[in-house]
Amino acid sequence: MADLGYYKMHALIIDDFENFRGTLYKMLMDLGIGNADSAASGEEALRYCKARSYDLILCDNNLGKGKSGQQVLEELRTTDNPCSDSLFILVSAESSKGIIMAAYDYEPDAYLAKPITPKALDQRLSRMIEQRVELKAVLAAQKAGAEQLAIDLCKELIAKGSRHANTCHKLLGQLYLKRDDIAAAEEVYRTVLDNRELEWAQLGMVKTKLAQNDFIGAQQWLENILQANPLCMKAYDLQAELYKLQNDSEGLQNILQKATDISPLSILRQQALGDVAQQNNDLITAANALKRAVKLGENSCFDKADVHSLFAQATIDLFSIDKELAKPFLREAISCVNNLEEKFGKTNLRRVESLLLESQLQVCSGDQRRAQEALSSAQAALGDSKEEAALPVQIEMVRTLRLLGKTDEAQQRLNDLLHQYANNEEQLQDLDVLLDEPRSEKNKLMVAEINKKGIAFYNAKDFTAAADAFKTALQKLPNHVGLRLNYVQALIDKLKTRFETGVSDKIQQTFTKTSAIISPQHPQFQRYRQLNDVYNTVMRTYEKNKRG
Amino acid sequence: MSSSEQKAGNTGHDQMPIDFSFVLASSVHDMKNSLGMLLHTLSAMMENSPPKDAEQARFFSTLEYEAARINGELVQLLSLYRMDENTMVVVIDEHHPIDIIEEQIARNDTLLKSRGIEIQVDCDSDLIWYFDSELIGGVLNNLVVNCARYCRKHLLVSATEENGFLCISVADDGQGYPDNMLLGPLPQTAVSFSSGNTRLGLLFTRKVLELHKTRKGQGYMTIANDGPLGGGVLKLYLP
Repeated sequence: MADLGYYKMHALIIDDFENFRGTLYKMLMDLGIGNADSAASGEEALRYCKARSYDLILCDNNLGKGKSGQQVLEELRTTDNPCSDSLFILVSAESSKGIIMAAYDYEPDAYLAKPITPKALDQRLSRMIEQRVELKAVLAAQKAGAEQLAIDLCKELIAKGSRHANTCHKLLGQLYLKRDDIAAAEEVYRTVLDNRELEWAQLGMVKTKLAQNDFIGAQQWLENILQANPLCMKAYDLQAELYKLQNDSEGLQNILQKATDISPLSILRQQALGDVAQQNNDLITAANALKRAVKLGENSCFDKADVHSLFAQATIDLFSIDKELAKPFLREAISCVNNLEEKFGKTNLRRVESLLLESQLQVCSGDQRRAQEALSSAQAALGDSKEEAALPVQIEMVRTLRLLGKTDEAQQRLNDLLHQYANNEEQLQDLDVLLDEPRSEKNKLMVAEINKKGIAFYNAKDFTAAADAFKTALQKLPNHVGLRLNYVQALIDKLKTRFETGVSDKIQQTFTKTSAIISPQHPQFQRYRQLNDVYNTVMRTYEKNKRG
Repeated sequence: MSSSEQKAGNTGHDQMPIDFSFVLASSVHDMKNSLGMLLHTLSAMMENSPPKDAEQARFFSTLEYEAARINGELVQLLSLYRMDENTMVVVIDEHHPIDIIEEQIARNDTLLKSRGIEIQVDCDSDLIWYFDSELIGGVLNNLVVNCARYCRKHLLVSATEENGFLCISVADDGQGYPDNMLLGPLPQTAVSFSSGNTRLGLLFTRKVLELHKTRKGQGYMTIANDGPLGGGVLKLYLP
């Protein structure tokens, strides 16, 4: 074997068993590795990795409590640290297949199955290091952002018949895509595919099609891939990207739902599902996905405070349309907002936010005393802050006051805010979420447009399209009574054409929500009552027919 | 109501049916972890106190061989379970067959040494082919472990291209395969508890080969005797 410079290398061993660490240490020393440190947990290892650079990291995937090996890898590859491109070997007692399924985008340089023997380790290491040496210049150029240089070096390696031509082709495709030279990237993938239908090249084709806004082409490639391999998670991620580009939020939710059903352990997919389901007003799906995202966030570098708040929001929103559905989430949502500061750092605004969310959640659990306590603490902490950064918690404050039945106080706060931001389009857009009629120009325009579009669909008797149109606006303007009634009217007509329980549930939920935001003095109150009567008649007729 | 109906009614109402394959798979997973620990301790022990005489060396080698065999079987069981559940991910990419072959030999280094088996590899180091390296590696590993038991002194692993297929062949100098393994295609369920040979390895091999298919055809294997070393020879063909 050529001298690959083992003696110069510094390795890090990560395993929760002292025994394994010792054995691996001895193996590495016997192989002539210069130096090796050991860590018993992912957290400890990450501290080491921030302090110095390692050439090689051998990490067990199952590290007991705390971070898993995959999570250590993700954190190293996505955050700024001296080990972001260290050689990373993921060691596992099982096959790598399960890990691949759960993984998002970050793959180790190699998987190694336990039990590890000295010979097997030596063989794998020398293969990896030999490849690293051969590709060293390419990878360095790529890291430095010198794509053209990296491309030239790749081509040289391929031309001289390198053992790693396959890896070079993969890199070439990525480099061309990075440089927006789509035609060249396509050429790379086509050449590979002419020879063999390899999944990575097919996925590459999807990326070129997406980059060219060729949505039909992308869709066809994706269908091919998923038909051959329904477990190809990368294809699901690209399909999600495609729907995002097409602004198809229903499609996006469906594909993320499928992907998380197959592989529930990916936090990023659960977060994305929660997000889009919340947008689609599918609150039960949102609450479920966000609950899982919060749980998966425990040890993940992808955990975000927003996801925790959104979980609480989704639970509160769910409660406003169906108390029973919301119940199973309440306990976890409360503990989630209680831990917000501890997890993401103490700031006054975060404290106020978590108290306000807690207050609303306590109302949902029927504990008025605690709700009031949390509200008082929030009010004390917020004081009469007028700073702009406080607007989101001010909005949360109005919501909380409303939910606690303090309508006048809520209105007073809202009026103050509207006054403060009267000439401020951006802030008005945010405040519209609390209003029946929007104040911002953008949302006024949106309501007008959506109403026009929805009513056109409605008149053409396409009730599904009409309902969808009104629904998209409701996410931004949940308190807009007119839109809500338009939505419910479209749904009722849809129900009349064909009875579906899902639709009647949605109508029921919309009425529950509307009853909470409408007062008898509202100009549309009469219409609300009428629609309610129509719905009840439809239901009675259906029940009668069913019995008959 | 007939008695059979009663019986069905009882199990249906009183308890959830047990998904036995799931229970088995979970427990196999556990066993595999324990076995990993056992194998590890074993090799640490052998390192701390090397065998004092030939008899001890034989004991060690038996321990290691049997443990490696159980480990291999458990891996196969889990893989078959995944294939059955359609949760087996197959990742076909370009590989050098020589790498996969050397990997399996390296994995079984101690076993081969303790049995005094000389292994010869005949494979162009530039040869490339397309397959799932982990699955094919698993199949090859089983073959090597198995042959370590039945061969006398020599083992030959070779890889060449034959009519558009990659042919990986494992030949030994043992007594050859029994007749019932040579005859015809393999039965659907190659399991016979009474003979003590569940043929799990063959079932696994066949399933893995079936997962490799292209327009040219799908993977298959042949088993024959009077191979290049005088004993049995098993060939894997990959499109």
